[in-house]
Amino acid sequence: MIDTVLKKSPAIAGAFVLAMGMATAAFADKLVLYTSQPEKDAAATVAAFGEKYPGTEVEVFRSGTSDLLGKLAAEFSAGSPQPDVLLIADAVSMEGLKADDRLMAYPEAKTDGFDPNAIDKDHYYFGSKLITTGIAYNTGAAKKPEHWADLTGADYKNLVVMPSPLYSGAAAFLLAGFAEREDLGWDYFKALNANGLTAVRGNGAVLKSVASGEKAYGILVDFMAMNAEKDGSPIAFVFPSEGVPAVTEPVAIMATAKNVEGAKHFVDFILSDDGQKLALKQGYLPAKASVGRPDWLPEGTKIKVMDISVPAVVKTVDADKKTFADMFGG
Amino acid sequence: MAAGASGQGQRLALTAGVLGIIVIFSLLPMLRLLQEVVLPKGAFSLAAIRAGLGDPTAWVAARNSVIVGVGGTALAVTLGAFVAILVTMTDIRGTQILILCFVTPLMIAPQVTALAWLQVAGPSSPLLHLLGIAPPIGTPNPLYSPGGIVLLLGIQYAPLVFLILRAGLRKLPRELVEAAQATGARPLRVIFTIVLPLMTPSIVGAAALAFVSCVGNFGIPAFLGIPANYLVLPTLIFQRLAGGGPAVLSDVAYLSVLIGLIAMAGIVLQDRFAKRRDFRIATTSLGVEPYRLGRWRILATAGMWGLIVVILVLPMVGLILTSLVHGYGIRLSMETVTLDNYRFVLWDYAAARRAFANSLMLATTAAVFAVIVAIPLGYVMAWGKSGWIRWLNFAVELPYALPGVVLSIAALLMFLKPIPLTGIQIYNTVWIILFAYLARFLVLAVRPTVNSYAQLDRALEEAAEIAGAGLFTRLRTIVAPLVAPAAMAGGLLIFMTALSELTVSALLWSSGSETIGVIIFAFEQGGDSKYAAALSAVVVAITFALMLSVNLFARHLPDGVLPWRD
Repeated sequence: MIDTVLKKSPAIAGAFVLAMGMATAAFADKLVLYTSQPEKDAAATVAAFGEKYPGTEVEVFRSGTSDLLGKLAAEFSAGSPQPDVLLIADAVSMEGLKADDRLMAYPEAKTDGFDPNAIDKDHYYFGSKLITTGIAYNTGAAKKPEHWADLTGADYKNLVVMPSPLYSGAAAFLLAGFAEREDLGWDYFKALNANGLTAVRGNGAVLKSVASGEKAYGILVDFMAMNAEKDGSPIAFVFPSEGVPAVTEPVAIMATAKNVEGAKHFVDFILSDDGQKLALKQGYLPAKASVGRPDWLPEGTKIKVMDISVPAVVKTVDADKKTFADMFGG
Repeated sequence: MAAGASGQGQRLALTAGVLGIIVIFSLLPMLRLLQEVVLPKGAFSLAAIRAGLGDPTAWVAARNSVIVGVGGTALAVTLGAFVAILVTMTDIRGTQILILCFVTPLMIAPQVTALAWLQVAGPSSPLLHLLGIAPPIGTPNPLYSPGGIVLLLGIQYAPLVFLILRAGLRKLPRELVEAAQATGARPLRVIFTIVLPLMTPSIVGAAALAFVSCVGNFGIPAFLGIPANYLVLPTLIFQRLAGGGPAVLSDVAYLSVLIGLIAMAGIVLQDRFAKRRDFRIATTSLGVEPYRLGRWRILATAGMWGLIVVILVLPMVGLILTSLVHGYGIRLSMETVTLDNYRFVLWDYAAARRAFANSLMLATTAAVFAVIVAIPLGYVMAWGKSGWIRWLNFAVELPYALPGVVLSIAALLMFLKPIPLTGIQIYNTVWIILFAYLARFLVLAVRPTVNSYAQLDRALEEAAEIAGAGLFTRLRTIVAPLVAPAAMAGGLLIFMTALSELTVSALLWSSGSETIGVIIFAFEQGGDSKYAAALSAVVVAITFALMLSVNLFARHLPDGVLPWRD
């Protein structure tokens, strides 16, 4: 059948051969990336990577870190993990994968000048940025929060929103970190719940809620608030005085990667000065301090980062997520 | 190539071809789905059903589905019936353009409708700010609620009810109405005692169709329900599948059968109701003379335009205003107005470009395939005499009549593993979406084609047969040119529906095979409404342009194939 069609029409035959050729080319160097970066940032990262390594086609699947881990767990049990490389919110998630032998070490990765806390000592994963979580508020809001505890006050009743730890990796880290602290602990989340806090799907949803004024205050990652403020949205951001939890958005190669070479190139790019400058341009605080600081963080300003132990969080985070789900209803 | 084959052989080949298509695109997927629920791994088991029955979240979602389904249907029927009577039975001004505007929401993808309405309400609404009546900070958007879902479902599907009722009203026998008028009955009395009772079959049929559409809708509850944690079955299936991947396919297979059963319940109820009494209209006569509204005419016309402004103009204005600013809560002014969002979604963002290419390819292929298949299929269905044709009709309708998630889950189950014998893997590619589109939208081209066959005089074909033309020759040279306009109008509907389709592609897409609908949804979920709004505005513009350009040569099309034209 195809034979007769091809004989009849050289044009169709040509198109057919071309299509087959393209199909093979597409399989030649394909890199699958699972990332929790916002849609636009992920696209820019992939585009910049493509400029440096033309010929590698990157397929991106984007979702919240906790959501991605769920998808990965399902793929593991089905025996066919899809991604070659991960770029997700926090080291805790990476530690979990590393403990299950899901990651591939990359000892040759160049990490000079990086914050040593961001880099796994065995070189399984590499923190690329410092992303802190603080409090964003609508500029039309009545109060200007200064402390985490403010959010439990009467003036804030039913006006606070946070990203669900069941979706966001940064929020899961905040949850597990806060739950361990003497000054906050589970009492803090009980108080938030009693004060009518809403948990939504991801930091993007928190930004939307606060900037649009549906809620007045939100627990939010720094760069999203700062970028929105720069764009002119009525939003401002504070680092509460007790300190802020910080995640590192690490990149890692999967042990099951089909395209190991491409995955190494991707890690190289994220850790390169170009990759770090791109992060800076996108409004993040890069993990390699020498490339500079974003506009919103003038030289000399110090952010007080909470001391949260990653190994401790690894142990408790799953139970914490479950407690949170029972408390706030998924 | 067919010159030598006998007429009998050609007839057999045609029947086999038609059956083959029905088996592949309708029967196999549905059987595969049922197998997963009751015969997993080849052995009969009720475990999946038992597990499903014990799942409280599934029950809540099922209850919510029924609630918004009934509510949306009630609103759609009320609104659709009111407008149908007003536009068909009175001398209201500008009927054509009113119909065009009122039917447009049906042509706009549900997720675009939802997104547009979200921009109108809430404290950041650029429109309310422009008018200075925006609610204070901390006021939730009232549309994130069951009521919001019901409102939008009602508006989305009111045109469906309107179209069916209008067709019915135009066949209303003049004698009965005139008899009532002669005895001095006032218009409202005529409507409630003569018109509406006679229209019962149309109303019940339209209600059933609206109900199936409401419970199967994904876009509206996804945009309005997920943020409020108000899940219906299609959104629950989506969330489970997004989080769990193929591992949870068996669980969601049960859920998709459940939503299929709820939809079927609506159809069965309608059937029962329609059979209970005889509503046949005995005479065929001229349509009813329109009521003269007199001094109410201006008021009625103004009222209708007010309605059009509320259901069409306001949301579209909201959508466009949002697409023109950099972020949430920014007031539109000379300083803040920007086309950056359009530039980003049309040029800078690779996935959106890919989505345009994918959706155009999918919509075109699905439309062309359906047009080509509809002609021989319609031939068998309209002019065939065998007893199994009724079943053929049922099988063609099934993938479209059932909610889109049902077909999607069936397609996933069929193609998760490589296709037997060939080893070809279409799961995680754009081809699995194409398969689902071909199956789901085929009927949209078959229906008008069958209608067109019914209006044709078969003598032409018989003359060709006597002159010795074989079946395939007759199909190609005589029949196809005659029914082609109807089939192509159906193809156009398919193109417009498939271009921004979300329900099927939300479950079947993978990176590289994004569709426009998926990208709009992803932007909104990631908190980037401005991009979602810009992309939606582009899609709406394409839809409008298509509707208007088709209107230009509508004279050449048979009656009733373009829903927005008489």
